[in-house]
Amino acid sequence: MPAREGTYGLIAEFDNPSDLVRAAKQARHDGWRRMDCYTPYPVEEAAEAINFHRNKVPLITLIGALMGLAAMFSLETWINVLAYPLNIGGRPLYSWPAFIVPAYEWTILWAGLSACFGMLALNGLPSLYHPLFNAPNFRDGATTDKFFLCLEALDPKFDLESAKAYLQTFQPLSVVEVEY
Amino acid sequence: MAHESHTKTLPADLSAPAFVDGWRMRAIMVGGIFSVVAALLAFADGSLNHFMRAWVLGLLLTFGWSVGGLALLMVQYCSGGKWGLLLRRPLEAMSRTLPLVFAYWVVVAIQMKRLYLWAAVTDVTAALNSGFINEAQAHCIEFKRAMLNPFAFVWVSVLCFAIWGYYTWRLNTLAVRRDQESPDTTPFWIKKLENISGPGIVIYSLTMTAAVIYWVMSMDVTWFSSVYGLLFLVGQGYSVLALSILVAISLSKAEPFKTIMRQTEQHDLGKMTFAFVMLNIYLGFSQFLIIWSGNLPGEISWYLDRIRGHWGIVITLDFIFHWLVPFSMLLSRDIKRNKKRLVRVCQWMIFAKAFDLWWLIEPNFRDSARNLHFSWGMLEYIAVPVAMVSFWVAYFSMQLKTRPLVQTNDPHLAEILEPEHAQA
Repeated sequence: MPAREGTYGLIAEFDNPSDLVRAAKQARHDGWRRMDCYTPYPVEEAAEAINFHRNKVPLITLIGALMGLAAMFSLETWINVLAYPLNIGGRPLYSWPAFIVPAYEWTILWAGLSACFGMLALNGLPSLYHPLFNAPNFRDGATTDKFFLCLEALDPKFDLESAKAYLQTFQPLSVVEVEY
Repeated sequence: MAHESHTKTLPADLSAPAFVDGWRMRAIMVGGIFSVVAALLAFADGSLNHFMRAWVLGLLLTFGWSVGGLALLMVQYCSGGKWGLLLRRPLEAMSRTLPLVFAYWVVVAIQMKRLYLWAAVTDVTAALNSGFINEAQAHCIEFKRAMLNPFAFVWVSVLCFAIWGYYTWRLNTLAVRRDQESPDTTPFWIKKLENISGPGIVIYSLTMTAAVIYWVMSMDVTWFSSVYGLLFLVGQGYSVLALSILVAISLSKAEPFKTIMRQTEQHDLGKMTFAFVMLNIYLGFSQFLIIWSGNLPGEISWYLDRIRGHWGIVITLDFIFHWLVPFSMLLSRDIKRNKKRLVRVCQWMIFAKAFDLWWLIEPNFRDSARNLHFSWGMLEYIAVPVAMVSFWVAYFSMQLKTRPLVQTNDPHLAEILEPEHAQA
């Protein structure tokens, strides 16, 4: 990615999640789309307020789970029926009830791993740099007790002065301009 | 802006909304209609046999809600959590339906001989010689006589009912007294109810296991399974949670549940239901896998009775109805957070539970084991449980009306009135 220059966006700092959620809802209502919320702990309503609900992690998890299920079930079938057929107590070679447990375990394992790594990949991780860390109050507050709403410069509505005035209407603790 | 400004206020009138009376009237009407249908079917079938088997199904469903509701009430007193405050009064109302469940059980006790081989056969040798029972059954009836006899059936069940009745009475009266006292008594009440509920859960597990062994498992005298009680325990969690969500969402159409029912708690309840759906199939399948692997003549016949002769279709459907459908539905976060859809899933789960019980009960009897076939009596499995459940719902609605729907002397109340984004 080529190095970007100029303004990344504006961040408004709030004292509590309620004010953040209200501001985010209003901003979305007023037509803002390129924006994000940053909170020290998960605030689901903030995600909902900016309509950040849909992501591909559930789909990746499901696909991973089905792959795990299919892989282990076929592996067991292949071993027991084709590769190394053993007569175990006179049971049929294709004894599916006994295959269920490992197949189930692999379903869970693959679902978990897919969810974890899928989430990391979709987050764009590992990433070594994010412009928001240029804002000193963000560095201190975002992981402890402050709630941030960021309007990004990529939004077509973005104009530095009017956006700043707009954020001020939510009575945040501060509004800071963030450089790339 | 002050944080407190978004806090909701509890309405002044906390009593159950008027439409609960409507539930009662409708339930009584449905119950009446299906009672007539059940009676007609008994005539068409020419015997009360299937009527009584279906009666046991209805007993188990309503027993699951009544005593299972009591158990969930005790669990939430021990575990805490805001979902508990939401469900407390509906669960209390479920537990107070115990007298009706007892009345249902009395019918089973009177008609014991139709349901249990060990009650029907008094002279084992004569029954064996006449071909009424086989050798394995004769042996088991004699060997288990000390436990499986009419007197033990009655006294064990009555003792269980007395214990559940005690806990129902104790928790229900204390809950009312708790609301009459000032908020600074809250820590005392939390501890007090925890101390009653903790041992109560253990005692519930034991008594419930004893009850289902007598009422259901002993229909087949030859077979036993050590996971049987746990299977029913989880099954009760499954159906109680489904019913609780159904009740809570239906109540949320009006005050006071409109104010206190939040999406967060609904989602939490959905997740918990999902856990019970998983645990249910886990235990059911483990039991099957262990018996299938062992492949011993004494044990496997129970499953063969329920797989061969077209019962295999029923158990395949049972797997789909009872597990696959609720599992797939409850995986979705959207469905768990959507009132209408979650209600549909819960209704489905209650149907699936009844379907599962049918598969569990009917093949115990000689005319149906390894032989799924239609008879008028088979339709009793629809008519009788629907009637019994309807009358139970009427009784439950009546109980729901008797006290305010929200426990006020509880620290969770302030939290549940906060807006949803106010906590981690």
